Amino acid sequence: MRTRTLRLEPVVFHLFNATVMLALAVVTLYPFLNTLAVSFNAGNDTIRGGIYLWPRIWTDQNYRAVFAGGTIYHAFWVSVARTVIATLLSLFLTSMLAYAVSRKEYVFRKPVTILIVLTMYFNAGLIPTYFLIKDLHLLNNFLVYIIPGLISAFNMIVIRTYMQTLPEGLIESAKVDGAGDFRTFFSIILPLCQPVLATVALFVAVGQWNSWFDTFLYASSKQNLSTLQYELMKLLSSASFSNTNPAVANSGAGATLQMVTPISIRAAITIVASVPILVVYPFLQKYFVHGMQLGSVKE
Amino acid sequence: MGVATRKKLWSSLSLGLALCLALAGCSGNSSNSSESEPSSAATNSTSAGASASPSASESDALEPITISAFIGAPQQQPTADNRIYKKIQDELGVKLNMEFLVGDLQQKLGVMIAGGEYPDLITADPKLVTAKAVIPLEDLIEQYGPNLKKHYEKYWNLMKDSSDGHIYWLPNYGAYTGDYLATVYQGPAFWIQKDILKEAGYPTPKTLDEYFKLISDYAAKHPTTSDGQPTIGFTTLAYDWRTFPLTNAPEHLSGHANDGGVVVDNGVATVFATQDIAKTYYKKLNEIYNQGLMDKEAFVQNYDQYLAKVASGRVLGMFDQRWNFEQAENELIGQNKIGQTYVPFPLTYEGVTDHYLDRPVLNLNNGFGISKDAKDPVRIIQFLDALVSEDWQKTLQWGEEGVDYLVDENGKFYRTQEQRDQQNDPTWKLANKADALWAYAPKMEGTYSDGNATGPGTQPDEFYNSLKPEDKEVLDAYQHKTWTEFFTPAPENPIYYPAWNIDLIDGSDASVANKQMTDATLKYLPKAIMSKTDQFDSVWQEYVDAYAKINVKAYEDRINSQIQWRIENWSSN
Amino acid sequence: MASAPKGISSNTAAMTAAPKSSIFKRMRSQKQLMLMSLPILLYVLLFSYYPIWGWTQAFQNYKPALPFSQQEWVGFKQFNFLFRDDSFLKVLRNTVGMSFINLVLGFLTAIALAILLNEIKSRLFKRTIQTISYLPHFLSWIIVTGLVANALSIDGGIINVLLMKLGFIQEPIMWLSKPHYFWGIVGASHVWKEVGWNAIIYLAAITSIDPSLYEAAEIDGANRYKKMLHITLPGIKSIVIILLIMNLGWILDAGFEVQYLLGNGVVVDWSQTIDIFVLKYGLQIGNYSLATAAGIFKTIVSVALIFAANTVAKRIGEDRLI
Repeated sequence: MRTRTLRLEPVVFHLFNATVMLALAVVTLYPFLNTLAVSFNAGNDTIRGGIYLWPRIWTDQNYRAVFAGGTIYHAFWVSVARTVIATLLSLFLTSMLAYAVSRKEYVFRKPVTILIVLTMYFNAGLIPTYFLIKDLHLLNNFLVYIIPGLISAFNMIVIRTYMQTLPEGLIESAKVDGAGDFRTFFSIILPLCQPVLATVALFVAVGQWNSWFDTFLYASSKQNLSTLQYELMKLLSSASFSNTNPAVANSGAGATLQMVTPISIRAAITIVASVPILVVYPFLQKYFVHGMQLGSVKE
Repeated sequence: MGVATRKKLWSSLSLGLALCLALAGCSGNSSNSSESEPSSAATNSTSAGASASPSASESDALEPITISAFIGAPQQQPTADNRIYKKIQDELGVKLNMEFLVGDLQQKLGVMIAGGEYPDLITADPKLVTAKAVIPLEDLIEQYGPNLKKHYEKYWNLMKDSSDGHIYWLPNYGAYTGDYLATVYQGPAFWIQKDILKEAGYPTPKTLDEYFKLISDYAAKHPTTSDGQPTIGFTTLAYDWRTFPLTNAPEHLSGHANDGGVVVDNGVATVFATQDIAKTYYKKLNEIYNQGLMDKEAFVQNYDQYLAKVASGRVLGMFDQRWNFEQAENELIGQNKIGQTYVPFPLTYEGVTDHYLDRPVLNLNNGFGISKDAKDPVRIIQFLDALVSEDWQKTLQWGEEGVDYLVDENGKFYRTQEQRDQQNDPTWKLANKADALWAYAPKMEGTYSDGNATGPGTQPDEFYNSLKPEDKEVLDAYQHKTWTEFFTPAPENPIYYPAWNIDLIDGSDASVANKQMTDATLKYLPKAIMSKTDQFDSVWQEYVDAYAKINVKAYEDRINSQIQWRIENWSSN
Repeated sequence: MASAPKGISSNTAAMTAAPKSSIFKRMRSQKQLMLMSLPILLYVLLFSYYPIWGWTQAFQNYKPALPFSQQEWVGFKQFNFLFRDDSFLKVLRNTVGMSFINLVLGFLTAIALAILLNEIKSRLFKRTIQTISYLPHFLSWIIVTGLVANALSIDGGIINVLLMKLGFIQEPIMWLSKPHYFWGIVGASHVWKEVGWNAIIYLAAITSIDPSLYEAAEIDGANRYKKMLHITLPGIKSIVIILLIMNLGWILDAGFEVQYLLGNGVVVDWSQTIDIFVLKYGLQIGNYSLATAAGIFKTIVSVALIFAANTVAKRIGEDRLI
């Protein structure tokens, strides 16, 4: 009796699980495929609706419109630079801070934690922050992408929580061997935190990559600091704008086929903006390896 | 901030188009009259005028200069080697360094004003006047801008700021020269499909009853379109800021001009949302809803869904402004479903003359101003002045002769189909048009001294060549030449007109009331229209009660005081 | 099997071993920890706390054009406007309601997804599903709500078509015109867009579970569900609780984009959130002060909530946020 259930149960479970996962994949893949299809469909035709998984009238016009200005190539590299630099720096500083406040014996653990955590729940407002950035001479400066957002309270808490699940004995034995906190942090804790660091790296990188608001506020008048997202935002808003502008409409009296519309340009932009960052995750997945062999670490 | 962003963009756009966006609700602008003192701004201008001696201007006209400009609307950056901008740089010595809006205009301006640093040229916003960010232009124009002076002569008093009497902005639309040519009609109307008219023998519906009779007869005969989809008798839209298809009809039906949320009788504005002229219309909609003629989803659909329905050819009629559904109509043309494109009718209540068509109005609080940080205001005015010469206007609007347009033996400008088509290619335009500058710079509208229309869109032959045979058939049947002839010709505009571009000071009671009225309207109108016939009156009463709680008077007072101000200050022209 | 309990016991040891008198001595011995944290704290004080002087806007009739000294002070006028408005209670109810639904649905679905993914044996299949499931996170709300509106349409929307084919309903339902469905639609849309993304953090947490625990449980004859219940779930418990406390602080942040894009006049009594209210009556009509006042109100509520939740967590002996 018991052996039978043991043999049958995994099959049933895996079938069930695979079905659920496949259903989920279908449901979550659909919006992306739909966006892809719209991005390759003639703009005017998209207005009719009814585009699902495949374009009805194939065109590359939407993509040509995205690449037309030529400004996005440089902007792409700015985006890459800010994402890479900010992610590495942020990861380093946030995890170091997380280590300090994960130490129960640390005198300032509580005040530091509280002060950092509270930052998640208030927002000083646009204008005072603008003044600060201005006073620090960060306006129209590449560093404005890096410096203001290095520490995220959320990420710090996530890393700290992970660190607290690590066996305390590891640190104690390091201390016994005479290691200071820096050495413990670098040589023992950091290597064990790979999965959570990969997670936080993803959070920071995606946030950096998708951000356009800082360009809008602090660096908009310097074209060579423009980021990919900002250029795409520009394109999207101008596409939506000119489409309701009779002055523009008038100049093209007559039927306009294959015209680029806001819906189609939005789809193309979404694809261009997200594909580069999408490749990051599968790469990070290898750090999500089960079991850091903690069991084998002698405590 | 995505939503706020769009909402704002549209609000500035609405002014830019001289087309009313209903209640003119979203314009969050301020011209705080009571607090600003003119003195410091005035000093600015005199000092600027004094610093550059008039005689010097001719000789350094070609000294290269870079002018920075902020455009308060989204545009695409032209290519670095754009043909027209290059011509401007070569011939006028001006290199433009333009920044375009991305995101929310009010946020951007708020930060810019707080920071206190501005580019040389900046597009209009009342906030900037309050912040003393821009300099008065009248002396500069008198001294250095003969073309501008002539261009705005008729409108001089209208351009003065209502707070201190200075001119800060150069309106970008609405200053006409020569003949005013209207061909396509982009404004409000009750629209109906061409096939319906054809089948009924080209009647001219004048009232709601006649209009809906045509629709219901046709819908009864054609429950589905030729490709099998169910027809929709009448639809409307109340999504995001696009609420005017639902809210604006009553003022037009009652023979008033487009004043936004108010109707103006004898110089006195009142909010019409709960008046009888509104109740009559919505009761009619309630009736057709209960007949099953009205789109059930009308109040739930978003803009894309609305366009999709119109583009499918299923919608027999709607009240809207044409530019709002133009994309969908273009798609119908693209599918060669010309019979399902629309003809406008100016429906009215019994015994009322229609006033759908209005004369163009000056696009106040729009266009460029010169900031206090501009290093050489004289040079900037000279640059803008050069642009309103006929030669440059032709370059900006038509393009370059022989390249973008041709001239026939009678001196008429025309374009080949290929030349027309490339104007629709956004990529081509980035390299070959100076649209971003043109849209905000002072511009000629109407006709040039040689009789050509200022732009291709209003050249009569250009228009006629774009018509399909089906369009010509309809126009012939009604013995009209253009779509505007379906309307009673526009009478002279009242002096104050239009009331919808009156600025409701930021954060004032009037602007709060305006928001509350919009909220109430969007909540109760759908409820009333979708109610059972015998319940309409009680829902309407709820609506009226909701309005009674709003400080409507604050809103009306602000509008009326500005109307009075305009009558006093604008009539002296 | 031994590591988890041992961690807890040594934690408590560390806490009790700290008599107050020796605080300076401890500081001296913790120079490295201080070096790791205090400069960063200074940085945070500068970038996050220093600009708080901007909160004075809430008590002014703030105009960006004027210097601080010339602003008009209006006391609690902005707060009065906010709290006295007839619709405020409704808006508050909607905000809390939608946040709560999003919170519960968001947690349950993400945790379930993480656990189910963890059970997949094939690494390729697991990674593929994982990658696909987080794709919608990269689409903007305007695209997602557009798809939601189409799916819910009575005009051939997939939901109505399916329900009718399956015989659950006789005629299509106009989902977006039913006020009482609105919260659920918003919650489901959130799940659709974010479930894969939210699961990532739990997947990372699951990796910290010692594999020997599973091996030991297997030897004890525990089945799959027992292992999920007694090893996997407890293994991610601390991160779940920490995230719950953190998210509780954001209960007044139900957002505005989804509600704005999916809402309409018919359901406005159930769709309007605080953020939409502030957008309409603050930012859109140039009243920055109202937005600041609302922000202060939200902060006060947030801080009160997280401290309360933290205290509760402490009482019942769970992991704490602070």
